[in-house]
Amino acid sequence: MVRCAEGPPCRIFFSVIELHHLTKRYGDTLAVHDLSFSVAPGHVTGFLGPNGAGKSTTMRLILGLDAPTSGKALVNGRPYMSLARPMREVGALLDANAVHGGRSAYNHLLCLARTNDIGPRRVAQVLEQVGLAGVARKRVGGFSLGMKQRLGIAAALLGDPRVLMFDEPVNGLDPDGVRWIRDLMCSLAAEGRTVLLSSHLMSEMALTAERIVIVGRGRLIAEATVAELISRYHTLEDAYMALTAGSVQFGVSS
Amino acid sequence: MMRAVVASELLKLRSVTTTYRAIGVAALMVVLGAVWTFYVGTMADERGSIRAAAPEQGFLPLLQTSLALLGVLAITSELATGMVRTSLVVVPRRGVLFAAKAGVVGAVTFGGAVTILLTTYATSRLIAGDRLLGFNQSSLAADLPMLLASGLSVTVLALVGLGLGCATRSTAAGIVSVVSLLFVLPGIATYLPPPWNTRVASFMLPNLVPQIAGDQLSRRLGDGLLPPWAALATLIFYAAVTLGAAFYLFKRRDA
Ligand SMILES: Nc1ncnc2c1ncn2[C@@H]1O[C@H](COP(=O)(O)OP(=O)(O)O)[C@@H](O)[C@H]1O
Ligand SMILES: [Mg+2]
Repeated sequence: MVRCAEGPPCRIFFSVIELHHLTKRYGDTLAVHDLSFSVAPGHVTGFLGPNGAGKSTTMRLILGLDAPTSGKALVNGRPYMSLARPMREVGALLDANAVHGGRSAYNHLLCLARTNDIGPRRVAQVLEQVGLAGVARKRVGGFSLGMKQRLGIAAALLGDPRVLMFDEPVNGLDPDGVRWIRDLMCSLAAEGRTVLLSSHLMSEMALTAERIVIVGRGRLIAEATVAELISRYHTLEDAYMALTAGSVQFGVSS
Repeated sequence: MMRAVVASELLKLRSVTTTYRAIGVAALMVVLGAVWTFYVGTMADERGSIRAAAPEQGFLPLLQTSLALLGVLAITSELATGMVRTSLVVVPRRGVLFAAKAGVVGAVTFGGAVTILLTTYATSRLIAGDRLLGFNQSSLAADLPMLLASGLSVTVLALVGLGLGCATRSTAAGIVSVVSLLFVLPGIATYLPPPWNTRVASFMLPNLVPQIAGDQLSRRLGDGLLPPWAALATLIFYAAVTLGAAFYLFKRRDA
Protein backbone atom coordinates (compact mmCIF):
# COMPACT_ATOMS: atom_id res chain seq x y z
CA MET A 1 0.00 0.00 0.00
CA VAL A 2 1.24 3.43 -0.88
CA ARG A 3 1.04 5.99 1.88
CA CYS A 4 1.55 9.66 2.14
CA ALA A 5 5.25 10.04 2.92
CA GLU A 6 6.26 13.56 2.04
CA GLY A 7 5.88 16.82 3.95
CA PRO A 8 4.34 17.18 7.35
CA PRO A 9 2.70 13.92 8.41
CA CYS A 10 -0.31 13.99 6.11
CA ARG A 11 -1.44 17.35 7.47
CA ILE A 12 -3.77 15.42 9.73
CA PHE A 13 -3.93 18.28 12.15
CA PHE A 14 -5.76 20.36 9.61
CA SER A 15 -7.93 17.75 8.01
CA VAL A 16 -11.42 19.02 7.37
CA ILE A 17 -13.10 15.77 6.50
CA GLU A 18 -12.36 12.76 8.68
CA LEU A 19 -13.75 9.28 8.38
CA HIS A 20 -13.38 6.94 11.32
CA HIS A 21 -14.09 3.27 10.61
CA LEU A 22 -17.10 4.23 8.55
CA THR A 23 -19.30 1.26 7.67
CA LYS A 24 -22.60 1.14 5.84
CA ARG A 25 -24.65 -1.92 5.13
CA TYR A 26 -27.77 -2.01 2.95
CA GLY A 27 -29.38 -5.34 3.61
CA ASP A 28 -26.85 -7.84 2.31
CA THR A 29 -24.69 -5.26 0.58
CA LEU A 30 -21.73 -3.93 2.48
CA ALA A 31 -21.44 -0.64 0.59
CA VAL A 32 -18.75 0.91 2.77
CA HIS A 33 -16.53 -1.21 4.96
CA ASP A 34 -14.44 0.15 7.82
CA LEU A 35 -13.32 3.15 5.80
CA SER A 36 -10.96 5.61 7.46
CA PHE A 37 -9.21 8.49 5.74
CA SER A 38 -9.00 12.22 6.02
CA VAL A 39 -9.03 15.06 3.55
CA ALA A 40 -6.81 18.07 4.04
CA PRO A 41 -7.35 21.60 2.71
CA GLY A 42 -5.66 23.39 -0.11
CA HIS A 43 -5.86 20.84 -2.88
CA VAL A 44 -8.12 18.55 -4.80
CA THR A 45 -8.39 15.09 -3.30
CA GLY A 46 -9.47 12.55 -5.83
CA PHE A 47 -11.85 9.90 -4.56
CA LEU A 48 -11.46 7.07 -6.98
CA GLY A 49 -12.96 3.66 -7.39
CA PRO A 50 -14.83 1.46 -9.84
CA ASN A 51 -18.60 1.67 -10.11
CA GLY A 52 -20.19 0.32 -6.97
CA ALA A 53 -17.08 0.91 -4.88
CA GLY A 54 -19.04 2.97 -2.35
CA LYS A 55 -18.02 6.51 -3.30
CA SER A 56 -21.53 7.96 -3.44
CA THR A 57 -22.50 6.13 -0.27
CA THR A 58 -19.47 7.55 1.52
CA MET A 59 -20.43 11.06 0.45
CA ARG A 60 -24.02 10.54 1.60
CA LEU A 61 -22.69 9.32 4.95
CA ILE A 62 -20.45 12.38 5.32
CA LEU A 63 -23.44 14.64 4.64
CA GLY A 64 -25.69 12.84 7.09
CA LEU A 65 -28.12 11.74 4.37
CA ASP A 66 -27.64 8.10 5.27
CA ALA A 67 -26.92 6.89 8.78
CA PRO A 68 -23.74 4.82 9.12
CA THR A 69 -24.10 1.27 10.39
CA SER A 70 -21.04 2.01 12.49
CA GLY A 71 -18.20 4.48 12.62
CA LYS A 72 -18.46 8.20 12.06
CA ALA A 73 -17.65 11.01 9.67
CA LEU A 74 -16.68 14.49 10.80
CA VAL A 75 -16.57 17.77 8.91
CA ASN A 76 -14.49 20.51 10.50
CA GLY A 77 -14.34 18.28 13.54
CA ARG A 78 -18.11 17.92 13.91
CA PRO A 79 -20.84 15.68 12.58
CA TYR A 80 -22.38 17.34 9.52
CA MET A 81 -25.84 17.21 11.15
CA SER A 82 -24.70 19.59 13.85
CA LEU A 83 -23.67 22.42 11.49
CA ALA A 84 -26.01 25.38 11.95
CA ARG A 85 -25.44 26.99 8.52
CA PRO A 86 -23.89 24.12 6.56
CA MET A 87 -23.86 25.94 3.20
CA ARG A 88 -21.30 28.39 4.55
CA GLU A 89 -18.97 25.53 5.47
CA VAL A 90 -19.63 22.77 2.96
CA GLY A 91 -20.93 22.73 -0.60
CA ALA A 92 -21.88 19.44 -2.19
CA LEU A 93 -23.07 18.15 -5.52
CA LEU A 94 -24.19 14.55 -5.26
CA ASP A 95 -26.74 14.03 -7.98
CA ALA A 96 -27.38 16.71 -10.57
CA ASN A 97 -30.80 15.23 -11.31
CA ALA A 98 -31.98 15.68 -7.72
CA VAL A 99 -33.94 18.82 -8.57
CA HIS A 100 -37.61 19.65 -9.06
CA GLY A 101 -38.01 19.96 -12.82
CA GLY A 102 -40.85 22.46 -12.54
CA ARG A 103 -38.79 25.14 -10.85
CA SER A 104 -36.64 27.70 -12.62
CA ALA A 105 -32.89 27.59 -12.07
CA TYR A 106 -33.06 30.90 -10.24
CA ASN A 107 -35.87 29.82 -7.93
CA HIS A 108 -34.24 26.46 -7.29
CA LEU A 109 -31.09 28.18 -6.08
CA LEU A 110 -33.02 30.81 -4.16
CA CYS A 111 -34.96 28.08 -2.32
CA LEU A 112 -31.66 26.59 -1.20
CA ALA A 113 -30.05 29.97 -0.46
CA ARG A 114 -32.92 31.13 1.74
CA THR A 115 -32.42 28.26 4.19
CA ASN A 116 -28.97 29.57 5.09
CA ASP A 117 -29.85 33.28 4.93
CA ILE A 118 -28.12 33.78 1.60
CA GLY A 119 -29.60 36.54 -0.54
CA PRO A 120 -30.72 36.74 -4.17
CA ARG A 121 -27.66 38.72 -5.17
CA ARG A 122 -25.43 35.74 -4.42
CA VAL A 123 -27.78 33.54 -6.45
CA ALA A 124 -27.32 35.79 -9.47
CA GLN A 125 -23.55 35.72 -8.91
CA VAL A 126 -23.22 31.95 -8.92
CA LEU A 127 -25.52 31.65 -11.92
CA GLU A 128 -23.16 34.00 -13.72
CA GLN A 129 -20.13 32.04 -12.51
CA VAL A 130 -21.38 28.71 -13.85
CA GLY A 131 -22.62 30.22 -17.10
CA LEU A 132 -26.34 29.73 -16.52
CA ALA A 133 -27.30 33.40 -16.19
CA GLY A 134 -28.95 33.31 -19.60
CA VAL A 135 -31.30 30.46 -18.66
CA ALA A 136 -31.87 31.47 -15.04
CA ARG A 137 -35.62 31.83 -15.55
CA LYS A 138 -35.99 28.61 -17.54
CA ARG A 139 -37.34 25.49 -15.95
CA VAL A 140 -34.75 23.02 -14.77
CA GLY A 141 -36.77 20.15 -16.26
CA GLY A 142 -35.67 21.23 -19.73
CA PHE A 143 -31.96 21.34 -18.87
CA SER A 144 -29.43 18.93 -20.31
CA LEU A 145 -27.41 16.85 -17.87
CA GLY A 146 -24.47 19.19 -18.40
CA MET A 147 -26.59 22.22 -17.49
CA LYS A 148 -27.88 20.39 -14.42
CA GLN A 149 -24.31 19.64 -13.36
CA ARG A 150 -23.57 23.35 -13.63
CA LEU A 151 -26.68 24.12 -11.61
CA GLY A 152 -25.59 21.64 -8.92
CA ILE A 153 -22.16 23.24 -8.83
CA ALA A 154 -23.79 26.66 -8.51
CA ALA A 155 -25.76 25.34 -5.53
CA ALA A 156 -22.59 24.02 -3.94
CA LEU A 157 -20.88 27.39 -4.36
CA LEU A 158 -23.79 29.46 -2.97
CA GLY A 159 -22.48 29.73 0.58
CA ASP A 160 -18.88 30.34 -0.53
CA PRO A 161 -17.83 27.28 1.51
CA ARG A 162 -14.28 26.23 2.37
CA VAL A 163 -15.09 22.59 1.74
CA LEU A 164 -16.50 21.23 -1.51
CA MET A 165 -17.58 17.73 -2.44
CA PHE A 166 -18.48 16.68 -5.96
CA ASP A 167 -19.70 13.23 -6.91
CA GLU A 168 -18.76 12.40 -10.49
CA PRO A 169 -19.46 15.92 -11.74
CA VAL A 170 -18.15 15.29 -15.24
CA ASN A 171 -20.54 12.45 -16.04
CA GLY A 172 -22.52 13.35 -19.11
CA LEU A 173 -20.58 16.47 -19.91
CA ASP A 174 -19.22 17.43 -23.31
CA PRO A 175 -15.47 18.10 -23.63
CA ASP A 176 -16.01 21.81 -23.08
CA GLY A 177 -17.86 21.13 -19.87
CA VAL A 178 -15.26 18.66 -18.66
CA ARG A 179 -12.58 21.23 -19.21
CA TRP A 180 -14.58 23.90 -17.46
CA ILE A 181 -15.10 21.72 -14.38
CA ARG A 182 -11.44 20.78 -14.30
CA ASP A 183 -10.40 24.44 -14.34
CA LEU A 184 -12.98 25.29 -11.70
CA MET A 185 -11.77 22.53 -9.37
CA CYS A 186 -8.20 23.70 -9.71
CA SER A 187 -9.05 27.33 -9.08
CA LEU A 188 -11.16 26.42 -6.04
CA ALA A 189 -8.30 24.44 -4.59
CA ALA A 190 -5.85 27.22 -5.44
CA GLU A 191 -7.98 29.54 -3.31
CA GLY A 192 -7.13 27.26 -0.40
CA ARG A 193 -10.38 25.32 -0.34
CA THR A 194 -10.73 21.63 0.31
CA VAL A 195 -12.08 19.77 -2.68
CA LEU A 196 -13.15 16.14 -2.61
CA LEU A 197 -13.85 14.95 -6.13
CA SER A 198 -15.07 11.47 -6.91
CA SER A 199 -14.68 9.67 -10.17
CA HIS A 200 -14.41 6.19 -11.57
CA LEU A 201 -11.94 7.42 -14.20
CA MET A 202 -8.31 7.87 -13.31
CA SER A 203 -7.75 10.02 -16.39
CA GLU A 204 -9.98 12.63 -14.78
CA MET A 205 -7.87 12.71 -11.64
CA ALA A 206 -4.52 12.97 -13.34
CA LEU A 207 -5.19 16.57 -14.33
CA THR A 208 -6.80 17.89 -11.17
CA ALA A 209 -6.00 15.91 -8.05
CA GLU A 210 -2.91 16.19 -5.93
CA ARG A 211 -3.84 13.40 -3.57
CA ILE A 212 -5.83 10.33 -4.38
CA VAL A 213 -7.89 8.00 -2.22
CA ILE A 214 -8.73 4.76 -3.97
CA VAL A 215 -11.58 2.54 -2.79
CA GLY A 216 -12.88 -0.79 -4.02
CA ARG A 217 -15.83 -2.79 -2.70
CA GLY A 218 -16.27 -0.33 0.10
CA ARG A 219 -12.72 -0.65 1.43
CA LEU A 220 -9.75 1.66 1.30
CA ILE A 221 -7.25 0.38 -1.26
CA ALA A 222 -4.72 3.18 -1.34
CA GLU A 223 -4.15 6.71 -0.20
CA ALA A 224 -1.30 8.49 -1.90
CA THR A 225 -0.16 11.59 -3.72
CA VAL A 226 -0.27 11.59 -7.48
CA ALA A 227 3.51 11.97 -7.53
CA GLU A 228 3.97 8.84 -5.45
CA LEU A 229 1.68 6.79 -7.64
CA ILE A 230 3.46 7.88 -10.78
CA SER A 231 6.90 7.19 -9.39
CA ARG A 232 5.79 3.73 -8.39
CA TYR A 233 3.57 2.64 -11.28
CA HIS A 234 4.76 4.89 -14.15
CA THR A 235 1.31 6.13 -15.07
CA LEU A 236 -1.78 6.72 -13.00
CA GLU A 237 -3.74 4.46 -15.30
CA ASP A 238 -1.38 1.60 -14.51
CA ALA A 239 -1.58 2.38 -10.81
CA TYR A 240 -5.35 2.32 -10.90
CA MET A 241 -5.51 -0.94 -12.83
CA ALA A 242 -3.00 -2.61 -10.55
CA LEU A 243 -4.58 -1.41 -7.33
CA THR A 244 -8.20 -2.11 -8.20
CA ALA A 245 -7.61 -5.36 -10.04
CA GLY A 246 -9.41 -7.36 -7.37
CA SER A 247 -12.29 -4.99 -6.79
CA VAL A 248 -13.94 -4.25 -10.09
CA GLN A 249 -17.58 -5.06 -9.81
CA PHE A 250 -20.05 -5.01 -12.61
CA GLY A 251 -22.94 -2.68 -12.11
CA VAL A 252 -24.15 0.82 -12.52
CA SER A 253 -22.99 3.69 -10.35
CA SER A 254 -25.64 5.69 -8.61
CA MET B 1 -32.76 28.87 11.29
CA MET B 2 -36.44 27.94 11.46
CA ARG B 3 -37.55 31.28 10.01
CA ALA B 4 -35.14 30.95 7.08
CA VAL B 5 -36.29 27.41 6.33
CA VAL B 6 -39.94 28.49 6.47
CA ALA B 7 -39.15 31.25 3.95
CA SER B 8 -37.52 28.64 1.72
CA GLU B 9 -40.44 26.23 1.97
CA LEU B 10 -42.86 29.03 1.12
CA LEU B 11 -40.80 29.88 -1.95
CA LYS B 12 -40.75 26.20 -2.91
CA LEU B 13 -44.54 26.24 -2.98
CA ARG B 14 -44.76 29.56 -4.79
CA SER B 15 -42.26 28.59 -7.47
CA VAL B 16 -44.02 25.59 -9.00
CA THR B 17 -47.11 25.71 -11.16
CA THR B 18 -48.77 22.68 -9.51
CA THR B 19 -49.42 24.89 -6.48
CA TYR B 20 -51.38 27.36 -8.60
CA ARG B 21 -53.24 24.57 -10.35
CA ALA B 22 -54.28 23.01 -7.05
CA ILE B 23 -55.41 26.36 -5.67
CA GLY B 24 -57.14 27.10 -8.99
CA VAL B 25 -59.12 23.87 -8.76
CA ALA B 26 -59.94 24.65 -5.14
CA ALA B 27 -61.14 28.11 -6.15
CA LEU B 28 -63.55 26.53 -8.64
CA MET B 29 -65.67 26.16 -5.54
CA VAL B 30 -66.57 29.84 -5.78
CA VAL B 31 -67.75 29.43 -9.39
CA LEU B 32 -69.61 26.18 -8.72
CA GLY B 33 -71.19 27.73 -5.63
CA ALA B 34 -72.38 30.70 -7.67
CA VAL B 35 -73.79 28.46 -10.42
CA TRP B 36 -75.49 26.25 -7.83
CA THR B 37 -77.04 29.24 -6.04
CA PHE B 38 -78.22 30.70 -9.33
CA TYR B 39 -79.74 27.35 -10.31
CA VAL B 40 -81.58 26.75 -7.01
CA GLY B 41 -82.52 30.42 -7.02
CA THR B 42 -84.44 30.05 -10.29
CA MET B 43 -86.14 26.95 -8.83
CA ALA B 44 -87.11 28.97 -5.77
CA ASP B 45 -88.51 31.67 -8.03
CA GLU B 46 -90.89 29.09 -9.47
CA ARG B 47 -91.83 27.34 -6.21
CA GLY B 48 -91.55 30.14 -3.67
CA SER B 49 -88.98 28.44 -1.40
CA ILE B 50 -86.60 25.50 -1.48
CA ARG B 51 -84.36 23.50 0.86
CA ALA B 52 -81.00 23.40 -0.91
CA ALA B 53 -77.60 22.46 0.48
CA ALA B 54 -75.21 25.29 1.22
CA PRO B 55 -72.57 25.46 -1.53
CA GLU B 56 -69.73 25.87 0.98
CA GLN B 57 -70.75 22.50 2.40
CA GLY B 58 -71.75 20.73 -0.79
CA PHE B 59 -68.53 21.56 -2.62
CA LEU B 60 -66.27 21.16 0.42
CA PRO B 61 -64.86 17.80 -0.80
CA LEU B 62 -63.51 19.58 -3.89
CA LEU B 63 -61.65 22.03 -1.68
CA GLN B 64 -60.47 19.24 0.59
CA THR B 65 -59.10 17.02 -2.16
CA SER B 66 -57.41 19.74 -4.18
CA LEU B 67 -55.63 21.28 -1.21
CA ALA B 68 -54.79 17.88 0.29
CA LEU B 69 -53.05 17.21 -3.02
CA LEU B 70 -50.93 20.28 -2.28
CA GLY B 71 -49.89 18.65 1.00
CA VAL B 72 -49.07 15.34 -0.65
CA LEU B 73 -47.03 17.01 -3.40
CA ALA B 74 -45.12 19.21 -0.96
CA ILE B 75 -43.21 16.12 0.13
CA THR B 76 -43.60 13.55 -2.65
CA SER B 77 -42.33 15.93 -5.35
CA GLU B 78 -39.09 16.05 -3.37
CA LEU B 79 -38.95 12.37 -2.53
CA ALA B 80 -39.62 11.31 -6.11
CA THR B 81 -37.00 13.58 -7.68
CA GLY B 82 -34.32 13.21 -5.02
CA MET B 83 -34.67 16.94 -4.31
CA VAL B 84 -35.11 15.95 -0.67
CA ARG B 85 -31.40 15.07 -0.55
CA THR B 86 -30.52 18.47 -1.95
CA SER B 87 -32.79 19.99 0.72
CA LEU B 88 -31.29 17.92 3.52
CA VAL B 89 -27.76 18.88 2.55
CA VAL B 90 -28.63 22.53 3.15
CA VAL B 91 -30.92 21.81 6.13
CA PRO B 92 -29.44 18.72 7.80
CA ARG B 93 -31.74 18.96 10.82
CA ARG B 94 -34.64 16.88 9.68
CA GLY B 95 -36.92 18.12 12.43
CA VAL B 96 -36.47 21.69 11.22
CA LEU B 97 -37.11 20.79 7.58
CA PHE B 98 -40.15 18.69 8.40
CA ALA B 99 -41.64 21.26 10.78
CA ALA B 100 -41.12 24.05 8.24
CA LYS B 101 -42.82 22.01 5.54
CA ALA B 102 -45.77 21.12 7.76
CA GLY B 103 -46.06 24.70 9.01
CA VAL B 104 -46.09 26.16 5.51
CA VAL B 105 -48.54 23.58 4.18
CA GLY B 106 -50.76 24.14 7.21
CA ALA B 107 -50.74 27.93 6.98
CA VAL B 108 -51.13 28.12 3.19
CA THR B 109 -53.98 25.61 3.05
CA PHE B 110 -55.80 27.16 6.02
CA GLY B 111 -55.47 30.66 4.58
CA GLY B 112 -56.46 29.49 1.12
CA ALA B 113 -59.36 27.36 2.36
CA VAL B 114 -60.88 30.05 4.59
CA THR B 115 -60.55 32.65 1.84
CA ILE B 116 -62.24 30.39 -0.71
CA LEU B 117 -64.94 29.35 1.78
CA LEU B 118 -65.74 32.93 2.74
CA THR B 119 -65.77 34.05 -0.88
CA THR B 120 -68.08 31.16 -1.79
CA TYR B 121 -70.26 32.05 1.19
CA ALA B 122 -70.43 35.74 0.31
CA THR B 123 -71.06 35.36 -3.43
CA SER B 124 -73.73 32.71 -2.92
CA ARG B 125 -75.56 34.88 -0.35
CA LEU B 126 -75.32 37.86 -2.70
CA ILE B 127 -76.73 35.86 -5.59
CA ALA B 128 -79.44 34.37 -3.35
CA GLY B 129 -80.64 37.82 -2.30
CA ASP B 130 -83.79 37.52 -0.23
CA ARG B 131 -84.97 34.26 -1.79
CA LEU B 132 -85.59 31.41 0.65
CA LEU B 133 -83.07 28.75 -0.37
CA GLY B 134 -82.82 26.91 2.94
CA PHE B 135 -79.16 27.68 3.51
CA ASN B 136 -79.24 31.46 3.50
CA GLN B 137 -81.49 32.24 6.46
CA SER B 138 -78.83 32.11 9.17
CA SER B 139 -76.44 34.89 10.07
CA LEU B 140 -72.72 34.84 9.34
CA ALA B 141 -72.07 34.62 13.09
CA ALA B 142 -74.14 31.44 13.24
CA ASP B 143 -72.42 29.96 10.19
CA LEU B 144 -68.90 30.91 11.21
CA PRO B 145 -68.16 27.77 13.32
CA MET B 146 -69.04 25.61 10.33
CA LEU B 147 -66.91 27.73 8.00
CA LEU B 148 -63.90 27.64 10.30
CA ALA B 149 -64.31 23.93 10.99
CA SER B 150 -64.45 23.35 7.23
CA GLY B 151 -61.28 25.39 6.77
CA LEU B 152 -59.56 23.43 9.51
CA SER B 153 -60.64 20.14 7.97
CA VAL B 154 -58.93 21.17 4.73
CA THR B 155 -55.72 21.92 6.61
CA VAL B 156 -55.90 18.65 8.50
CA LEU B 157 -56.37 16.76 5.24
CA ALA B 158 -53.42 18.57 3.67
CA LEU B 159 -51.27 17.66 6.67
CA VAL B 160 -52.53 14.09 6.59
CA GLY B 161 -51.64 14.09 2.89
CA LEU B 162 -48.16 15.40 3.71
CA GLY B 163 -47.74 12.71 6.33
CA LEU B 164 -49.01 9.87 4.20
CA GLY B 165 -47.04 11.10 1.19
CA CYS B 166 -43.92 11.15 3.35
CA ALA B 167 -44.57 7.71 4.80
CA THR B 168 -45.41 6.04 1.48
CA ARG B 169 -42.93 8.13 -0.57
CA SER B 170 -45.39 8.08 -3.44
CA THR B 171 -47.73 10.73 -4.83
CA ALA B 172 -50.22 8.10 -5.94
CA ALA B 173 -50.26 6.34 -2.58
CA GLY B 174 -50.61 9.67 -0.79
CA ILE B 175 -53.60 10.64 -2.92
CA VAL B 176 -55.24 7.24 -2.55
CA SER B 177 -54.83 7.45 1.24
CA VAL B 178 -56.42 10.89 1.37
CA VAL B 179 -59.31 9.82 -0.85
CA SER B 180 -59.87 6.75 1.34
CA LEU B 181 -60.08 8.87 4.46
CA LEU B 182 -62.36 11.36 2.79
CA PHE B 183 -64.72 9.18 0.74
CA VAL B 184 -64.13 5.45 0.98
CA LEU B 185 -64.06 4.84 4.75
CA PRO B 186 -66.99 7.19 5.53
CA GLY B 187 -68.88 5.53 2.69
CA ILE B 188 -68.34 2.10 4.22
CA ALA B 189 -69.25 3.38 7.70
CA THR B 190 -72.64 4.57 6.44
CA TYR B 191 -73.59 1.04 5.44
CA LEU B 192 -72.72 -0.62 8.75
CA PRO B 193 -75.76 -1.88 10.69
CA PRO B 194 -77.16 0.68 13.15
CA PRO B 195 -76.17 1.84 15.71
CA TRP B 196 -72.63 1.08 14.47
CA ASN B 197 -73.02 3.21 11.38
CA THR B 198 -73.48 6.38 13.43
CA ARG B 199 -70.89 5.37 16.01
CA VAL B 200 -68.16 4.68 13.47
CA ALA B 201 -69.18 7.54 11.20
CA SER B 202 -68.80 9.98 14.09
CA PHE B 203 -65.05 9.43 13.96
CA MET B 204 -64.72 9.71 10.19
CA LEU B 205 -62.75 12.75 9.13
CA PRO B 206 -65.36 14.54 6.98
CA ASN B 207 -68.05 13.96 9.64
CA LEU B 208 -66.06 15.83 12.27
CA VAL B 209 -66.84 19.16 10.60
CA PRO B 210 -70.62 19.15 11.31
CA GLN B 211 -69.98 17.79 14.80
CA ILE B 212 -67.63 20.68 15.57
CA ALA B 213 -70.37 23.06 14.44
CA GLY B 214 -72.98 21.15 16.47
CA ASP B 215 -74.93 19.92 13.43
CA GLN B 216 -76.28 16.52 12.37
CA LEU B 217 -73.98 14.18 10.46
CA SER B 218 -76.66 13.63 7.86
CA ARG B 219 -80.39 12.90 7.84
CA ARG B 220 -79.63 9.21 7.61
CA LEU B 221 -77.05 9.06 10.39
CA GLY B 222 -78.59 11.64 12.70
CA ASP B 223 -76.56 13.28 15.46
CA GLY B 224 -72.95 12.23 15.90
CA LEU B 225 -71.56 10.92 19.18
CA LEU B 226 -69.00 13.65 19.69
CA PRO B 227 -69.52 17.00 21.38
CA PRO B 228 -67.87 19.90 19.50
CA TRP B 229 -64.69 19.94 21.57
CA ALA B 230 -64.18 16.19 21.17
CA ALA B 231 -64.78 16.43 17.43
CA LEU B 232 -62.22 19.22 17.22
CA ALA B 233 -59.74 17.18 19.23
CA THR B 234 -60.31 14.15 16.98
CA LEU B 235 -59.73 16.28 13.87
CA ILE B 236 -56.43 17.56 15.26
CA PHE B 237 -55.56 14.03 16.39
CA TYR B 238 -55.74 12.85 12.74
CA ALA B 239 -53.11 15.37 11.72
CA ALA B 240 -50.96 14.81 14.81
CA VAL B 241 -50.84 11.03 14.45
CA THR B 242 -50.05 11.02 10.73
CA LEU B 243 -47.44 13.76 11.04
CA GLY B 244 -45.91 12.04 14.07
CA ALA B 245 -45.62 8.71 12.29
CA ALA B 246 -44.30 10.38 9.14
CA PHE B 247 -41.70 12.33 11.05
CA TYR B 248 -40.55 9.21 12.85
CA LEU B 249 -39.92 7.55 9.47
CA PHE B 250 -38.45 10.70 7.90
CA LYS B 251 -35.95 11.02 10.71
CA ARG B 252 -34.91 7.40 10.74
CA ARG B 253 -34.83 6.48 7.08
CA ASP B 254 -31.90 7.06 4.77
CA ALA B 255 -32.72 9.93 2.44
N1 LIG C 1 -29.73 3.00 -1.11
C1 LIG C 1 -29.13 1.82 -1.36
N2 LIG C 1 -29.76 0.65 -1.12
C2 LIG C 1 -29.16 -0.51 -1.37
N3 LIG C 1 -27.94 -0.64 -1.89
C3 LIG C 1 -27.25 0.48 -2.17
C4 LIG C 1 -27.81 1.77 -1.93
N4 LIG C 1 -26.91 2.70 -2.31
C5 LIG C 1 -25.84 2.03 -2.74
N5 LIG C 1 -26.03 0.69 -2.67
C6 LIG C 1 -25.06 -0.35 -3.04
O1 LIG C 1 -23.86 -0.04 -2.39
C7 LIG C 1 -22.75 -0.25 -3.25
C8 LIG C 1 -21.97 1.03 -3.39
O2 LIG C 1 -22.71 1.93 -4.20
P1 LIG C 1 -22.27 3.42 -4.48
O3 LIG C 1 -21.94 4.09 -3.21
O4 LIG C 1 -23.31 4.04 -5.31
O5 LIG C 1 -20.94 3.21 -5.33
P2 LIG C 1 -20.18 4.23 -6.32
O6 LIG C 1 -20.74 5.59 -6.09
O7 LIG C 1 -18.76 4.11 -5.95
O8 LIG C 1 -20.42 3.75 -7.71
C9 LIG C 1 -23.31 -0.80 -4.55
O9 LIG C 1 -23.23 -2.19 -4.50
C10 LIG C 1 -24.75 -0.34 -4.53
O10 LIG C 1 -25.56 -1.23 -5.24
MG1 LIG D 1 -21.62 6.87 -7.46
